[in-house]
Amino acid sequence: MILRRSNDERIPPGQHLTRGWPVLHEGPIPRFDPATWRFRCFGLVEREIEWTWDEFTSFPRTQLTSDFHCVTAWSKLDNTWEGVPFREIYARADVSPAATHALVHAPFGYSANLPLDALLDDDVVFAFTHDGKPLEPKHGGPMRLVVPKRYAWKSVKWADGIEFLDHNERGFWEVRGYHNDAFPFEEQRYSWQEA
Amino acid sequence: MPGDPAAVWSLIQRADELIKYASNRDERAAYAQARAALTEAEILIPELDEPQRVRFTEQIALRRGDLDRYDPAS
Repeated sequence: MILRRSNDERIPPGQHLTRGWPVLHEGPIPRFDPATWRFRCFGLVEREIEWTWDEFTSFPRTQLTSDFHCVTAWSKLDNTWEGVPFREIYARADVSPAATHALVHAPFGYSANLPLDALLDDDVVFAFTHDGKPLEPKHGGPMRLVVPKRYAWKSVKWADGIEFLDHNERGFWEVRGYHNDAFPFEEQRYSWQEA
Repeated sequence: MPGDPAAVWSLIQRADELIKYASNRDERAAYAQARAALTEAEILIPELDEPQRVRFTEQIALRRGDLDRYDPAS
């Protein structure tokens, strides 16, 4: 028997369903050039590593469907993403056992922080497609992180690197007064809610 | 009587939303409105207690720095 939650149960408090897919991001949309694009793993790794676009897109892929919740109060259900699971990156990055957290980086100084445990969840993916179509630049294409269990600012658009850390360092929005954990069903929107 | 930190945060959030949704409209106009919202927030800051004054002054400075990077010509 498959138990499926109703839409009402899938929409966190303070959220409403969106019909489309609103476009929001900090700063300009970066230009993508597959010849010069690099994805860098650094910080607490045995050796820094950089992958080209061809290398990154050759890693094993998965497809999964998940809901997406933006802190600006819209939710979008049943998104199908295809891409490289975070676990595949972690397995190739030669990460030090001392690492407990990571900052996922993007151009123009954007970043978001997460515990490694959260990133290693089986629904976390660096996605190239959304609902079967290549991810548009305005939605983070050609590749974005997707972390469905957190508010969407943690799902870093145009991700281009991971910094592995032995502590929880706040990212772009977390420094600007937004919640370090960002669980939608606990409505963890702002830093003043943190214990 | 101390000022209302919620009113200051609300204006900062207004600036955040203007910046985040700027690409859907006239970006420069959105950035100008975001700067105006931050200026409104700054006007309320002297009424707050000391820790809140420090906190919100830092938050506004971060956003002004972001706007200077995204819209350097303004």
